[in-house]
Amino acid sequence: MAELQKDPMTRGDFLGFGILGTIVGAILTIPPAAFVLAPIIDVDILGKSDVPEGPDDWFEVGPIAEITEEEPKFFKVDFPVEQIYAEPKVQEESGISKEEFVVESALWVSWRTEILGDGTYGQSYRPSFLDNYDGGTLTEEQVQEAQENLNVLSSSCAHLGCPVRWILREGEGELLCPCHGGIYNINGEYVAGPPPRDLYRYTHEVREDGKLYVRHEFDVGGENGPQEPYVI
Amino acid sequence: MIGRIRSQAIDTSRFLTDWMEHRTGIVTMMEHFLYEPVPKRGAWLYTLGSATLFCISLQFLTGILLLFYYVPTTDHAWDSIYYIMEEAYFGTLIRGIHYWSANFLLVFIGLHMAQVFFSGGYKAPRELNWVVGVVLLLLVIVLAFTGYLLRWDQDGFWASVVGMKIGSYSPFVGGATIHFLLGGDVTGPATLSRFFAIHVWLLPAALAPFIGIHLYLLRKHGVFGSEFEYSDRLAKLHERQRLELYESYEENGHEEIGETNLGRRNREERDRRE
Repeated sequence: MAELQKDPMTRGDFLGFGILGTIVGAILTIPPAAFVLAPIIDVDILGKSDVPEGPDDWFEVGPIAEITEEEPKFFKVDFPVEQIYAEPKVQEESGISKEEFVVESALWVSWRTEILGDGTYGQSYRPSFLDNYDGGTLTEEQVQEAQENLNVLSSSCAHLGCPVRWILREGEGELLCPCHGGIYNINGEYVAGPPPRDLYRYTHEVREDGKLYVRHEFDVGGENGPQEPYVI
Repeated sequence: MIGRIRSQAIDTSRFLTDWMEHRTGIVTMMEHFLYEPVPKRGAWLYTLGSATLFCISLQFLTGILLLFYYVPTTDHAWDSIYYIMEEAYFGTLIRGIHYWSANFLLVFIGLHMAQVFFSGGYKAPRELNWVVGVVLLLLVIVLAFTGYLLRWDQDGFWASVVGMKIGSYSPFVGGATIHFLLGGDVTGPATLSRFFAIHVWLLPAALAPFIGIHLYLLRKHGVFGSEFEYSDRLAKLHERQRLELYESYEENGHEEIGETNLGRRNREERDRRE
């Protein structure tokens, strides 16, 4: 029989061993776990994001007058990233590398378009004042009209995140995902293929200078679908 | 009820232990490690090897953790360590353990070597274990040297430059060795990459099997005395434990103080017989 089991252990020994073991175990496991699981603590528990999400963090997309009725326009927005050595505090202290750390995000922006019963596109709600817009200051009503009728779509497919692109087929355009063939219409609404929902829409606003601005967050809930993307 | 559960639990654990012992021999192995008979005089000196092993284990574990954030490029090496020290959860603690256990590792190795040297532990049949130990010492020294540069601060950078300049005076191969380590003739991005590769992959991978050989040879010959002597002493230890167990039964059986004294006298008699 095993020699180790002959060690007499009283109830007090057992309890003391258990308590001491718990304390030592906590000291040994919590620091490394927190060190490695920091992203889970920050993102999933504390709800932080690596892209600044303050109320003032609006990023310019481009002038809305460039967006035509027929097709969505492609814009690229560089959102700053604050991640490990790219954090401002670290960069400030470093003094060596003064790089901009960004996540390059692609956006499709289109005017809301009526979808007819057979899936073809009907009337576009592009504001008429843009037809002879000279770049001046917009009135509040104009801003309101433009803002309501814009689709500001993330190019990342709602299925598995490949970038969708605008293609023309039989005269009708659609946003097609090259990876698994997900198809969305000009409004970014689901048409066919594996995606479970419409394209993600950025929180956006149009300002008096006639330009579109976005924040790094998505309109979720209701018709837009309940879930935020894990990878953005 | 409780008594039955308890006896069942004891039976189950006994069965499981026996099952494991029969298939892996793990209980016997644990006995060999835990019940090491060592001379009473200077018993603490025999822990220096274990202390070294403990520090090396710490180096492995904290090193793996640091790799989650460290970036081996000249642009970001310093930045990433600054991030570990200032922002990461418990980063100061984990890098602190890596740093201090590296320092204490060299201290323990020095003391361990001195103890083996002065007690004559390197003599036959343990010469090879001494040789393996020296290989381990050299590996650890190179690990310490390469780890110093990875911080990419003024301290580590110039210490590495000085170290490599010292190496460059070696006859015949000095220049070539240094150029191999530098990845050129300038301390730059290539140097950092090479030191990183050597520090986190090459040397730890080389260290592990040598630690295994060192421990195997240690178990083969014992800390002191031959294998025969070792098992002999283990047998005596078991005998003594058995007798003590009987004595404790006897003591529990008789509550008079005189009986315990009798037990002690018996023990002395037994020792005389031996």
